[in-house]
Amino acid sequence: MDLDIARDLPRPGFNFDNCKRNATLLKGGFKPPTTTKTGTTIVGIIFKDGVILGADTRATEGPIVSDKNCAKIHYLAKNIYCCGAGTAADTEMTTDLISSQLELHRLGTEREVRVVAANVMLKQMLFRYQGHISAALVLGGVDKTGPHIYSIHPHGSADKLPYATMGSGSLAAMSVFESRWRPDMSEEEGKKLVRDAIASGVFNDLGSGSNIDLCVIRKGSVEYLRNYELANKKGERKLDYRFKKGATPVLHTSVRDLIVNESVTVVPMETS
Amino acid sequence: MALAEICKISNAPYMRRTAWDLSDVEEDLKAHTSNLANPYTLAAPPFENPMHNLNLIQANADKTGIKIDFDHGTTTLGFKYKGGVILAVDSRATGGQYIGSQTMKKIVEINQFLLGTLAGGAADCVYWDRVLSKECRLHELRNKERISVAAASKIMANIAHEYKGMGLSMGMMLAGYDKRGPGLYYVDSEGSRTPGNLFSVGSGSLFAYGVLDSGYHWDLEDDVAQELGRRAIYHATFRDAYSGGIIRVYHMTPTGWIKISETDCMELHYKYEEQKAQAAAAAQ
Amino acid sequence: MSNLGFQQFPEYQVPGVQQADFSPYESNGGSIVAIAGDDFVVIAADTRLSSGYNIHSRDQSKLFKLSDQTVLGSTGCWADTLSLTGLLKVRMQGYEHTHLRTMATDAVAQMLSITMYNRRFFPYYVSNILAGIDKDGKGVVYSYDPIGHCERAFYRAGGTAGTLLQPVLDNQIGHKNINLSSSELPKLTIERAVAIASDTFISAAERDIYTGDSVLINIITKDGIEEKKLQLRLD
Repeated sequence: MDLDIARDLPRPGFNFDNCKRNATLLKGGFKPPTTTKTGTTIVGIIFKDGVILGADTRATEGPIVSDKNCAKIHYLAKNIYCCGAGTAADTEMTTDLISSQLELHRLGTEREVRVVAANVMLKQMLFRYQGHISAALVLGGVDKTGPHIYSIHPHGSADKLPYATMGSGSLAAMSVFESRWRPDMSEEEGKKLVRDAIASGVFNDLGSGSNIDLCVIRKGSVEYLRNYELANKKGERKLDYRFKKGATPVLHTSVRDLIVNESVTVVPMETS
Repeated sequence: MALAEICKISNAPYMRRTAWDLSDVEEDLKAHTSNLANPYTLAAPPFENPMHNLNLIQANADKTGIKIDFDHGTTTLGFKYKGGVILAVDSRATGGQYIGSQTMKKIVEINQFLLGTLAGGAADCVYWDRVLSKECRLHELRNKERISVAAASKIMANIAHEYKGMGLSMGMMLAGYDKRGPGLYYVDSEGSRTPGNLFSVGSGSLFAYGVLDSGYHWDLEDDVAQELGRRAIYHATFRDAYSGGIIRVYHMTPTGWIKISETDCMELHYKYEEQKAQAAAAAQ
Repeated sequence: MSNLGFQQFPEYQVPGVQQADFSPYESNGGSIVAIAGDDFVVIAADTRLSSGYNIHSRDQSKLFKLSDQTVLGSTGCWADTLSLTGLLKVRMQGYEHTHLRTMATDAVAQMLSITMYNRRFFPYYVSNILAGIDKDGKGVVYSYDPIGHCERAFYRAGGTAGTLLQPVLDNQIGHKNINLSSSELPKLTIERAVAIASDTFISAAERDIYTGDSVLINIITKDGIEEKKLQLRLD
């Protein structure tokens, strides 16, 4: 017997069915819908006992802030996290995909996965798509070989660094690292440094904003500090904007009786 | 400066002294506001073919975020009948997809016997109507009689022709009353000028024509004619997204123009809906 | 392709040579709100000057005092704003010297329209809102499109967050889509106008990345101009 349903299952991977049509529409002057970008300042550093990742929480659609408190530090494995900048959907899906592959890898090898494995998988995937997946990542984690930070560019190149920044606020954040980072910082010092780096992105880069997220990964433990600091307070409005009763005009009124007709027929259960 | 002389660059703009004196400032000011003294002298753009080049900037709007949206959009109409000329217009101004105004005045009162309607670029129409208004007044002073609608529309058509190809955008009707009786001309930025009994101009003009053609004849009564104009614009506001707001009706009579009404199109909508409902109830 | 009025390249096409697009404009962001009452007018603008994702200044006033009764708010391409307001200031002074009185708000409005139209074929890339007290002592707002189309109004929002702010003003000041009798609606006092102007800016700073830092509010009455400043988000 043919498995009709199984035969129609979509093939895995991206679907390119609409590409040709969309290209034609584009040529005819059609404006494609805008994707949500993270704008973003994301950073990562190595400190004495591990790594600290940091991110702002603003997502934008052009000049408009579309999410004031989004999470940009993604889970990859128990000991590995990854910050994403670029198109929000791309960073999310890429990290999700690699996360599940890493889990399979862990089950297959029966070992804690290494950060370098995550790096290779991410950059190979991004390279395969030639930059069309616009994800700029800061990967960080601790494994048996120690703490690691990688920065991965959308086209698939990667750097192994002691401190890295990405996104539109990367220059602002990097200026903080360049002046203050040093090897073997304490956790408190490290958190302060990452906070300051993200804050400089939040305040000086229009693509970054709102709050500061941190993620501290040590040997054997992880501390995800969501909204570590609320860098900006919303102003307080002076007036009350609730509408008085009756402010909305009534155009039509139609009142209907609610009639419920219910009949129950007993069907004997087949027990033969 | 001998070297400059030898190189023949002593007169080049970048060799001029940089310390400005008072006359430079005055000259500069005059150059930048030349059209305050003479409305026909607009600043020349620093590139050729402004229509093409401004469109290029507009075409890059997605990349640069720079979008120069002039106020646009409209439904206007005008027709002659036995009682004079009726003009009716909406009041919505749109810049791109955005409604810039719902209260724009699209009938310009040029003088007591001359009205202009406004479609296309709002600034273009208003500016040149103002110039026309001056020319008409000067004509009165020179010739001791009012300018004819034909002559006034010719002035406007000449202006349009002068700037043809530069990117002006106007589609206007000029309505008036002179010794030849009621006058109605259509003038646009391409330089065309035609007299006629009935016109509708703008993005919603097709809808207006539909209503207008079914109700129009020469011997309309005043109130019926005014209502016809109003209803035609209403139906255009209903179907055309670029038209809406307040519907204004003007009447040009032998003794000058009268403003007949200014009604919100939403108000009219519910009025007409009720009339329809009543008619349907009466038919049953 | 275009050139800047002087010869850059030979007229014929040179193989391999590409001329960069002529891009004389830049968007420097910022928003303006103006609200007119019976005998006053309030005009507010944020103080952030930006370009792309960078902030040039957190404390740049976009309000230009043209006289004791007239203030112009101008955003868009800052270079154009400076050049236009520079011209207006000289013109205002010239008028004062020749006519021995200050130009009335209505006259300023008309002059601004014509001055902007002078650049019809190479427009000032600016969003202008003029606020002032008119000849009858009433508050008035004039708004402009980039080539000088001018409309008198009672309230208006402009600039990068203009499209976000205008519907709020339509509802709160214009009472659009509110089905209440006029006695039930709040009266527009100076306090209410200032409160609404600052509240709209607080909201705009939340969602428009080009609006923020602080908002400058000018309150114009027949007695002169009062200035206020309010802190906004800095991100």
